[in-house]
Amino acid sequence: MSALEQNALLAAFVASTIGLVTVLHLLARAIGRSQDEPAKDVPFEGGTLQPKPVWVRYHFRYYALALLFLAFDMEMAFMYPWAVVYRELGLVALLDMGVFLAILFLGILYGWSERGIGRQ
Amino acid sequence: MTMLLMIVPIVVGIWVVATLESWVSTGRFRPGRPLAAAVAMLGQESLVPRRPDRILFEIAPPILLAAGIAATTVLPLAAEVIVIDLATGGLFVNAAWVYVVVALIMAGWGPNGAYAMVAGWRFLAQLIAYAMLTVMPITAVAMRAESLSTTAIVESQASGTWNVITQPLGFVLFWLAAMAVAFLPPFDHPVAPTELAGGVTAEYTGVRLAIFRLGRLTLILTLAAAVVVFYLGGWLGPWLPASAWTAVKTLTVVAAMLWLGRWVPRVRSEHLMAWSWKLGIPLALVNILWVGVTLWAVDR
Repeated sequence: MSALEQNALLAAFVASTIGLVTVLHLLARAIGRSQDEPAKDVPFEGGTLQPKPVWVRYHFRYYALALLFLAFDMEMAFMYPWAVVYRELGLVALLDMGVFLAILFLGILYGWSERGIGRQ
Repeated sequence: MTMLLMIVPIVVGIWVVATLESWVSTGRFRPGRPLAAAVAMLGQESLVPRRPDRILFEIAPPILLAAGIAATTVLPLAAEVIVIDLATGGLFVNAAWVYVVVALIMAGWGPNGAYAMVAGWRFLAQLIAYAMLTVMPITAVAMRAESLSTTAIVESQASGTWNVITQPLGFVLFWLAAMAVAFLPPFDHPVAPTELAGGVTAEYTGVRLAIFRLGRLTLILTLAAAVVVFYLGGWLGPWLPASAWTAVKTLTVVAAMLWLGRWVPRVRSEHLMAWSWKLGIPLALVNILWVGVTLWAVDR
């Protein structure tokens, strides 16, 4: 199968998800619709509607770790191609990557020492 | 179109996972229950909460389902029985799973409800904890197979031992991370029934909840299938036909994942992050080092 066919098939699978969701919505509508009744649509929370949107009320207490995570996430982009050719290159590749990972790991240790791992 | 025949095992797999889940949570084995529950959910009213972010609210469950379905396409049932044998399959499943966090944050943000939003952002914290533990063990598996293709990874285990024997550390880390991706207990922060009243699913009812649950069941199936492909030798095994081995192993892993969660209390969000970064990631690096040295010793 060519790369184009593979991608087309993949797109077809994802598109069929949209089809399935539409069919389920139509089925549910055929069975019955929801009735408008007062206070039915209040979000679950102690029975009253908040005057303001709730979206402003969350404090990300893990932002330091999220930054550290970004560094490691980028590093994985280098790890995948390296992993595929590792056996061709042998132990030298392990040493090369070891140096890179050791430098990154210092980042974890630094974050740890600054209490960046966990809630702020 | 043999590829399209893959839809049948996927659907049957989802049904078995749903049956197992209800068996674990209610203690009663009722194979007809998933179908009855699906019909009941379709008949239930599907409410939209007041003043929602309507677009995010509507598309979050389909995205979760699409993520699960996309992941099923690259996981093989047998040597030639796979929807798409992508050369980058091991990377692609990860890319599909990343959309789980997108879907759950949308589902948390969309309804404009406090419990849902807290649950959605907690899942982002959970992603920070588990993401490295899914990708790093896969890297070690790819090192042995010299390929990211899922079929090549299974074939690399045909000669000699399965990866679970040669990389036990990676197996344990990937298993735990897989449970966290599917937000199974003890990592069920985004739904946390006893704590956040259902979390991201608190405001979903009716057909939207049905789609959400279908997406999650698909996700559990793909994660168990990934554990089997990467560590338990995929379709390899004596006597039985290849696809039967994949099915038996996958469903055993699903059952074990569901069963394990019953015996462990929910891990606190910040503890999960701390353990993952202070213990999990160093161990994952040790696993890569271990695999590197053992492969070098074998190849010499």
